[in-house]
Amino acid sequence: MTDKFHDEMAGMQQKVLGMGLFAEGMLRDAVEALRTQDISLAGDVKARKGALSSQNDILEEEVYRMIALYQPVARDMRAVACALKVIASAERIGRYGKDIANVVIATADSRGKDLASGLAIPHMAGLVLSMIDDSLRAYETGDLEFIRHHSERDDVVDALRHTIFREGITYMMEEPRTITRCMNYLMVARYLERCADHSCKIAEKVHYMVTGERIEIK
Amino acid sequence: MTTQSIISTQGLTLWYGETRALKGVTMEVADQKVTALIGPSGCGKSTLIRCFNRMNDLVCDCRIEGSVDFHGNNIYGNGADPVDIRRRIGMVFQKPNPFPKSIYENVAYGPRVHGVTDRARLDQVVEESLRKAALWDEVRDRLSHSAMCLSGGQQQRLCIARTLAVGPEVILMDEPCSALDPIATAKIEALIGELKQQYCVIIVTHNMQQASRVSDFTGFMYLGEMVEFGETAQIFESPREELTENYITGRFG
Repeated sequence: MTDKFHDEMAGMQQKVLGMGLFAEGMLRDAVEALRTQDISLAGDVKARKGALSSQNDILEEEVYRMIALYQPVARDMRAVACALKVIASAERIGRYGKDIANVVIATADSRGKDLASGLAIPHMAGLVLSMIDDSLRAYETGDLEFIRHHSERDDVVDALRHTIFREGITYMMEEPRTITRCMNYLMVARYLERCADHSCKIAEKVHYMVTGERIEIK
Repeated sequence: MTTQSIISTQGLTLWYGETRALKGVTMEVADQKVTALIGPSGCGKSTLIRCFNRMNDLVCDCRIEGSVDFHGNNIYGNGADPVDIRRRIGMVFQKPNPFPKSIYENVAYGPRVHGVTDRARLDQVVEESLRKAALWDEVRDRLSHSAMCLSGGQQQRLCIARTLAVGPEVILMDEPCSALDPIATAKIEALIGELKQQYCVIIVTHNMQQASRVSDFTGFMYLGEMVEFGETAQIFESPREELTENYITGRFG
């Protein structure tokens, strides 16, 4: 493969990383908007969805073009395949950020404003964001140390989601007027859990890119 | 290797005068599979393939150590007959090299040399060989025309037919498509896929995409050594050796 390919590939990896960080930023700000009940920040997150989609489209097209022009093999093929999977997961993460922003806006007037903190959603979001961050750092550096404990971290996130579900149910039984907000927050917990899964997906693909070995992080 | 091997080398070392062109190559070649040899120019892949039917005998100052076993018998051992070996292990070269004779005579030449004189038998061998080489339909009406009138791709398939006519078991191909355009190349590649149903095919190629398209096993050679040998999909997805990785991804070579 020519140096031209490797130059283009390095450029593309930077753009993929940029898209990953963009999506992570959407999720981070959405959770912050939820925590602080900041409707304008939530609106800002929603407005970024178009840019997220177009980054996805542009990068996907670029991946196909690289395959068509260079027919990469081995490490190069794995890097291109990884890029394709990372942007797909990044797009999902960003869209979950948008979904959480929608929850903030939709529940603005309902009862139980402090429930998000009570339900440990900020704590759960912190864990998920750190997983995403480490997956992207592994992608950037090729250092698998960042993703070594993803499986255990994902278990913690899953357990938190169950806890939040149980807690949410008790709140709803105590005070039926919180049902709208609670139901929405349970969905948020579900979105965050899915984001952790996507960070594991990214980690799996980075592992494949670096070692050639396909693993499953459960 | 799970499939039956037909050729195996053990510590094969070859000297051209003072130059060591092969350094202790040990490998097994599976029957009814396509094995590709890749590597930069001068890495010894053509030299290796030429050892398989003793073509290097013709090079003066060439010396061989180690063994090449064909069906378990060392082809460099006492009593091995190079002519018989070359009949059973045929070769197709980079540049199509038909004889300046008719299409028919090109194919019939080998069987004649090996003593077939019956016209009906020769007709049959010529047709069968041309069919196997996927050339019959294109030349059936002009068998008496000169082979030199054929296109490059047709000439190469004629050379393959000529190799098949003497009933080989192994077909060695040394860069068989490098003088051909993409369409003629595609035909030869399709033909290689057909041939492996019946023969063992070993192909030397500079074109890595070709190796990945046509072969079941790939060997990467560098400076006279077999650096890595394995299933083609594994070599091109995640090679074990960094040298292989660097070569197939174009980081050197």
